Amino acid sequence: MRFRFCGDLDCPDWVLAEISTLAKISSVKMKLLCAQVLKDLLGEGIDYDKVAKLTADAKFESGDIKASVAVLSFILSSAAKHDVDGESLSSELQQLGLPKEHVTGLCKSYEDKHSALQDKLRETSLRLGRLNSVSWRVDYTLSSSDLREVNEPLIQLKLQTQGAEPGSSETTVVSVSADKFRVLLAELKQAQAMMNALQ
Amino acid sequence: MSEQQNNHKQVFCFSSVVEEFGHIALESLRRGSSPKIYESAAKKLFVPMEMVQHGVEGLVFLLMESSKHMISEVNFLDCVLVLGFSEEVNRFLLKLYQEHQGQIRTIMKQLICSQPTYQNLEWRLDVQLASRLLRQQIVPTVVTRLFLTSGTDSSSRVLQTDPRTLLHIIYTLEAALAAVKTSHTRRILRNIK
Repeated sequence: MRFRFCGDLDCPDWVLAEISTLAKISSVKMKLLCAQVLKDLLGEGIDYDKVAKLTADAKFESGDIKASVAVLSFILSSAAKHDVDGESLSSELQQLGLPKEHVTGLCKSYEDKHSALQDKLRETSLRLGRLNSVSWRVDYTLSSSDLREVNEPLIQLKLQTQGAEPGSSETTVVSVSADKFRVLLAELKQAQAMMNALQ
Repeated sequence: MSEQQNNHKQVFCFSSVVEEFGHIALESLRRGSSPKIYESAAKKLFVPMEMVQHGVEGLVFLLMESSKHMISEVNFLDCVLVLGFSEEVNRFLLKLYQEHQGQIRTIMKQLICSQPTYQNLEWRLDVQLASRLLRQQIVPTVVTRLFLTSGTDSSSRVLQTDPRTLLHIIYTLEAALAAVKTSHTRRILRNIK
């Protein structure tokens, strides 16, 4: 059986198994658990004490708690990844055997945070390096050891980049003559025009 | 067990101390030994530090070798009997071995990290539309970051491929997976189990 929220593939076996675990807690508690998992996916951190309290009634062991957090995490992030709308997610989860009240709660939370989740996933997508900041300075060379009157402007550019490895940053300092800088500026403006045309 | 290990066992004349040594031995297996612990134990027992160290090392060796070969209770007791300790010490050593055998085997499994293993793969699909020299291009590229871990160190490699090579990679890997299902492999797996 192919499911849209799994990217048109079969649903993984462990998800099927843990859906039955999820059915053991009440639908109200499940909605609160969803809220906690969504907070974690959006990078706000998860409060494990609250999760433990929510699952205490159903007498979940630590393995069950981890499993239910994992399966909710998978369902929500996978649905956001493949841009599944709330209704399709609802019908697919019911096909997998999750009770209707649980599904309604889950899909409501999902639809509320749908675009926030997609933005967060877009942010954390693979990026090889990022430009953090640019600073510049224009100097004017008056004279040098080779020539007494030089009288030329010179631009110093400092680029702060975040390197390919997460957490590493590099600083590049370049000095550019006026002509070269004009060429650089023209080319970058062309690239910018092309980027704007795409949007 | 070699003569050396036998000599190390001399310190186990004090059966009350064996428990303490057991704990120190397990901790050193888990986190590595520290001379401070040996020093404090040596002070408490009024014996030189080397004796404590040898005792702990001997105990660690005994536990590791027993766990490695997964020897049964009877065999373990036989081995320990040779050393000539009291019944109480023997029983305590057996209990220590049985309770922590699984843990010790897990720790030892982690020690043989030879090659980096797969941890995670992130990818992105980019399309180059233009460059400084040529406009109106369409060049799809898949950029991946492969996360590897060997024991506790983790590293990552950035790889880049075009879609055709990627399809070839997928095809080769699927053929590798299919090799698990051939009758030749199944025969061998049946014999191992």
